[in-house]
Amino acid sequence: MSKLLKPLIVIILAVAVAAGTAVYLGRQPDQPAETGGSAPKHVDIRGGGHTRGPENAQLTLVEFGDYQCPSCGAYHPFVKEILSRYPQQLRLEFHHFPLVTIHPNSMMASMAAEAAGVQGRYWDMHDALFEHQREWADSPNAEPIFIALASRLGLDTNKFMQGLRSPDLQSRILQDVTRGNDAKVEAVPSFFINGEQVHITLSMEDFVKVIEARLHK
Amino acid sequence: MKTRSVAIAVLAFIGMVDALYLSIKRNAGPIPCHVTRGCTDVLTSRFSEIGGVPLSWIGLAFYVVIFSLAVFKVFEDPKHPLDWVPGSLFYLAGAALIVSALLVGIQAFILKAFCEYCLLSAALVLTMFLLAPHPGPRKLPQ
Repeated sequence: MSKLLKPLIVIILAVAVAAGTAVYLGRQPDQPAETGGSAPKHVDIRGGGHTRGPENAQLTLVEFGDYQCPSCGAYHPFVKEILSRYPQQLRLEFHHFPLVTIHPNSMMASMAAEAAGVQGRYWDMHDALFEHQREWADSPNAEPIFIALASRLGLDTNKFMQGLRSPDLQSRILQDVTRGNDAKVEAVPSFFINGEQVHITLSMEDFVKVIEARLHK
Repeated sequence: MKTRSVAIAVLAFIGMVDALYLSIKRNAGPIPCHVTRGCTDVLTSRFSEIGGVPLSWIGLAFYVVIFSLAVFKVFEDPKHPLDWVPGSLFYLAGAALIVSALLVGIQAFILKAFCEYCLLSAALVLTMFLLAPHPGPRKLPQ
């Protein structure tokens, strides 16, 4: 029995130490660096993007996102919640950053959001795309799902389908991608507040902490 | 064999930390890369889970099993040696090496992005495989 006890204690202790080390490392502030140098702390992102919230808000939260990215989908409710908690002080500026090499439906999803935007319903489609992400993300043919979403939102589906193939809308998305590349966006979602890149963990507490710190700067 | 078992246990411990770190970070926002480019791309891709189970959890289970086997081998009773452990380590590490090679291939050719934590895991698995002695042919009972 005692011969079994020794290795068992070592195994339990090792798992506990490994867990402690991983938690400790996981709590360290993220400082992403790249082979080409570290990410800039301040960038000038002007123009483009879709905004939600008052024009004269004290803070602008810029998000570079990909509708098919699971992390972006996970962040979405927190972004919505933080906007509702600071309705006067905060506005959101969303930029498309579809990672087309790994998310084959991301470009069409961005097109769907833009096509809804033509009918004045960009943000409704934006929310719907994230909220129904699981339904279309891995679909080999996502277009009918996007059309169904548009129909549910009460959009003119013929006009919406034209929008899905509009080179102008695609060009708008590609301009966002260029802005993201200029800002050295390396991951999605990437957040900037008033031009400063911020790393926010997936918790409301952290969102509030980051916003509060910037509001009282 | 004892020295090899200790070395395999140390490598498996590093693997446990790596897999646990990824399991924690997976739901905690963008995962920073320090050496390579595209950690989040890899770790949020459709290849990052099997049937809804994140690969980091599967990796964690693998490292805990390998660590446990190696530790039992280190503390074995010389009168009752655990002769089956080296073979188990060899075949488990071999299977993991095939999976790791596949995942590195996916990063290189499909995702075109590399995750340093996944590459570390692949390197650990390769080293463990090289350290695990080939069990060799079984002796027939006399």
